[in-house]
Amino acid sequence: MSAVISDRQIVYENVSKFYGEVLGVNRVTLSVPPGITGLVGPNGSGKTTLMNLTAGLLHPTRGSISVLGATPEHPEEMFRLVGYATQYDAFPPGLTGFQFIESFLRVHGYGRVEAEELAWKAIERVNLVDAAGRKVAGYSKGMRQRIKLAQAIAHRPSVLILDEPLNGLDPMARAEVIALFRELAAGGLHVLVSSHILHEVDLISDQVVLIHGGYVVAEGDIGGVRDEMEEQHPAQVLIRCDQPSLLASRVFLHDHVVEARVHDDGKGLLVRTRDADQFYLLLNQVVVDTGLVVETVMPTDADVNAVYEYLIGANGGK
Amino acid sequence: MNDIVTPSVSVTPEARQLPWRSHRARQIRAVMRLELRKSFLGRRSYGKIALALSPVIIALIRLFHPNLAADQIEEATGFFSILFQVYALRLALVLTCLAIFGDMIRREVLDRTLHYYFLAPIRREVLVVAKYLTGVLVSVPLFGVSTLAAFTVAYLPHEGVQAFLFNGPGLGHLGSYLLVTVLACIGYGSVFLLFGSFFRSPAIPALAVMGWESIHFLLPPLLKKFSVIHYLQSLCPVPMSEGPFAILSDAPSPWLSIPGLLLLSGAFVAISAWRIRGMEVSYEEE
Repeated sequence: MSAVISDRQIVYENVSKFYGEVLGVNRVTLSVPPGITGLVGPNGSGKTTLMNLTAGLLHPTRGSISVLGATPEHPEEMFRLVGYATQYDAFPPGLTGFQFIESFLRVHGYGRVEAEELAWKAIERVNLVDAAGRKVAGYSKGMRQRIKLAQAIAHRPSVLILDEPLNGLDPMARAEVIALFRELAAGGLHVLVSSHILHEVDLISDQVVLIHGGYVVAEGDIGGVRDEMEEQHPAQVLIRCDQPSLLASRVFLHDHVVEARVHDDGKGLLVRTRDADQFYLLLNQVVVDTGLVVETVMPTDADVNAVYEYLIGANGGK
Repeated sequence: MNDIVTPSVSVTPEARQLPWRSHRARQIRAVMRLELRKSFLGRRSYGKIALALSPVIIALIRLFHPNLAADQIEEATGFFSILFQVYALRLALVLTCLAIFGDMIRREVLDRTLHYYFLAPIRREVLVVAKYLTGVLVSVPLFGVSTLAAFTVAYLPHEGVQAFLFNGPGLGHLGSYLLVTVLACIGYGSVFLLFGSFFRSPAIPALAVMGWESIHFLLPPLLKKFSVIHYLQSLCPVPMSEGPFAILSDAPSPWLSIPGLLLLSGAFVAISAWRIRGMEVSYEEE
């Protein structure tokens, strides 16, 4: 990998982490580009270990990690680039929300005026201005999540690592925080988010990394990951149309269509195909040839939820 | 993805312009400010303050002793030397320094807050030095005031205090006790910082140190050299009898004691820094 690319990506090279004889993660080789990357896996799969390794809180047993070309051996360089909101719901005692953020900005080396300015900006971004003067110990779970997020973004990092950042947030706050992630990613940041709420990961991620038992089982954009699985798990597409039986008879002639089943209500067809792209071309052709009236075309298993279920299992592989 | 613009590194112009020494000095000040705010200005500090001021309480209680000979200032000198060397130095100061310095890393692990420091762009060695300096900044005034107040209270009821202080050895004694106090905070502080960096419960090795220090008068001359109290006691202005079983040895010269103690403290802080540099944050194991 060229130095130029590694300076723009988070690069894991054959990274393993063992806690004694217990496996944390094993042989992880990845390159994470800018944008929002969802880290998905069941509890104990190694998500937090991978995040802690990325942020230098843990040291790999084998392999190496570089974050935009920086490594934890050079903290003064690395931690200007990285902001990390961990899963630990703990804060230094006795501090208000503002003091918490401002104090650590001062530890970064910012002067008083600059630290205060950055602290207020971060607090505004997570919509906590009214509570900034109160002790963090008195915050609700959602407020604590947001003040952690503010602390992680306050120094304007280029890489933002967020471990279960949506936990404890009410729907309104979730929407705000997701919008903030998108805004940050649109600005060129690398946002690495772990979550066990799959539809949220699906909603916010540009790409996903599926991890199970310490191994990365899939990575890339969801569409790409899903395409690679078509041989083993044919893609399912639901077509709501006026003549599902006609459509079934036309598509079933093609090798890539594994199954075509008319929906119970007689107004739709569920197709399973090993080549979704070919199928969509075929569907266009059938519409042109027969005048079929199509209401909707909907892939039913092209989301992260389905990919997760196929690769890991609905119950997290247990 | 190669066409994506490289995100800019967010170092502020101000931070870039600072020479590295000024930048680190600023970071040290920031850590000290934060440590003082979260660990020493709240309820957590009450016990330490009470323990540090306990020699003053003992000196005050003595004022009400019925056999107090107000006309014999030598009695105050003897009382204070025992109070300082037996209680203040060996017990109150050691326990308070254990609470202050032993907790500096350990408390952060128990509170699950150490990662905030580890995720800041500060060298961990600098962090350890800043935490140690905070401990010194807290313990030295605390015990300085305690020593000064206990000394004052011990001599207060006696006649001829003014002459003892200004025309006799009084101020010299006080200066020596204050010097020993400062050195004790520096020395024991570095030892307990080291224990807090290496052990889950720094109290256990600290108790071993206290035991070692308390039997130091029984140790042969060679082993005495590995005792902090050996050097501190030699700097005290009034020698204290250690009983019939004490093994006597030559007191080390102040020119050896002071730099030796400072060097040893520096070495302990350096070992702590080395330890913290390689430390992982894994609170689940705690």
